[in-house]
Amino acid sequence: MQRDLKGLQRWMQATIVSGEDLDAAGTLILPSATLDPLERLNIYRGMYEARLVDALRADYPGLVALLGDEQSTDLAELYIEAHPSRSYTLNRFGDSLPDFVAEVEGLRRAAFVQDLARLELLGTEVFDEQEVAAAEFPPLAGVPEEEWAKVRFYTIPALRLGSFRYPVHRYLAAIRTGGMAPRIPARPTRLAVFRRDFQVHHLVLSPGAALLLGALASGEALGAAMERCPAMSEATVFRYFQSWCSAGLFHRIALPA
Amino acid sequence: MANRWQLPDLGFGVGLRSVHWAHILGEQPAVDWFEILSENYMDTGGRPAYMLDQIAERYPIVMHGVSLNVGSTGELDREYLTKLKQLARRTKAQWVSDHLCWTGVAGVNTHDLLPMPYTDESLRHVAGRVRQIADMLERPVVLENPSTYLEFAASTWRECDFLAALCEESGCGLLLDVNNVYVSSFNHGFNPAEYIDALPTDRTVQIHLAGHTNYGTHILDTHSDTVIDAVWELYRRATERMGRVSTLLEWDESIPPFDVVHAEALKAREWLPDAT
Repeated sequence: MQRDLKGLQRWMQATIVSGEDLDAAGTLILPSATLDPLERLNIYRGMYEARLVDALRADYPGLVALLGDEQSTDLAELYIEAHPSRSYTLNRFGDSLPDFVAEVEGLRRAAFVQDLARLELLGTEVFDEQEVAAAEFPPLAGVPEEEWAKVRFYTIPALRLGSFRYPVHRYLAAIRTGGMAPRIPARPTRLAVFRRDFQVHHLVLSPGAALLLGALASGEALGAAMERCPAMSEATVFRYFQSWCSAGLFHRIALPA
Repeated sequence: MANRWQLPDLGFGVGLRSVHWAHILGEQPAVDWFEILSENYMDTGGRPAYMLDQIAERYPIVMHGVSLNVGSTGELDREYLTKLKQLARRTKAQWVSDHLCWTGVAGVNTHDLLPMPYTDESLRHVAGRVRQIADMLERPVVLENPSTYLEFAASTWRECDFLAALCEESGCGLLLDVNNVYVSSFNHGFNPAEYIDALPTDRTVQIHLAGHTNYGTHILDTHSDTVIDAVWELYRRATERMGRVSTLLEWDESIPPFDVVHAEALKAREWLPDAT
């Protein structure tokens, strides 16, 4: 049975992506001296899955360490079946994995797994963001007090903020250094995930700091951002800004004219 | 014999891989040129982009891609082509190449270099796509013969004849991967020397060399080892016909230290027809 180019490509892709209509291999593919048509087709089918599993493992090393080789590969295969790649790049192939993990039934320590996946996703986003020079801490002392509210802090592109049920950054830190992965109890945790000197870092934020930094990152001026945390003292705010500037979280600080 | 676009003979290059970035920038080895995998640098503004910019300041760069999807019956990916063009400008790429293959249809990407059926219909289709892409990129399209692991019953052309005809129909250039010729000749049982002899002599702007993995029943193009003598013989045969051509060694699995890869690339000098 002959097929036109479009029909042949759709057929071959369906065999690779979802294992459909493998019987047609016998008529559409020639045997070699050593392999029958289906064995030849299976070379491509095997490479497809292996390549995508490798891409996910590279982006989610924490999940691989937590789940182990077998379970993480099973999870990856389920994901690949549900989310075939639709982009020319594998860079963002795993972007839906955290949401996918949340839907998987019967996963042990599901909340921890989901948190870990979300943190690793933020890390991959930060890794690929544009590089910009960090701003120095500005001479705020020269700004009249009534003008402080108008100061704007523009965060670097390579910054993400996340809230987690577990301090999963501790797990990632442990496996990165090759240490024993600790058993980590639940504790609400807010993190700034950012890149500096081409390395991804995690900074733990207090609830107030997370609120303040989140407001600034969304474009609010300092005054509006501080109204979100009225109980925070000026000294605490100053300490936060010193820490964030020294971490290089801002690329521009716009003082009032 | 020069190629018809007068694209330069860059000498003996090495495929740029991230494990070698620090060595290259630190030691500044005397490499003639580097080939980058385009997709590794198209969507990142972090360390890969920084390293590439540094290396592109010091060495000639050629871009080699895996996602052009030139043989697909799906839509051309204009976002991809736009980014490819931007990267070529940024790196001052000498030329841009990809493979005679397809990677997906209906919006799906298998991220593999899937084989074409070599038919009249395919020839018309690919030639039309090559012309469209060349117009968009504003430069000639250079296509590599792929390693393939199956043949379609529908094929009516030999791959080498199909490539030669495609060059005429579309105006494309050739990246002749002599390891791929060897791999496919083993997998499909054709004579690799006849394949080389059937290609036009003025279209080849680059040659690829690499190692592979022989499983007995078939060979996979793994880029995981040194180049075997049978492939070097094909390299000599190709350069006898085509003259000296920019030559590049690819190494992608179990990558050794940079000096080992570079030394393997420089072996090509010993296999040139005029080598003493």
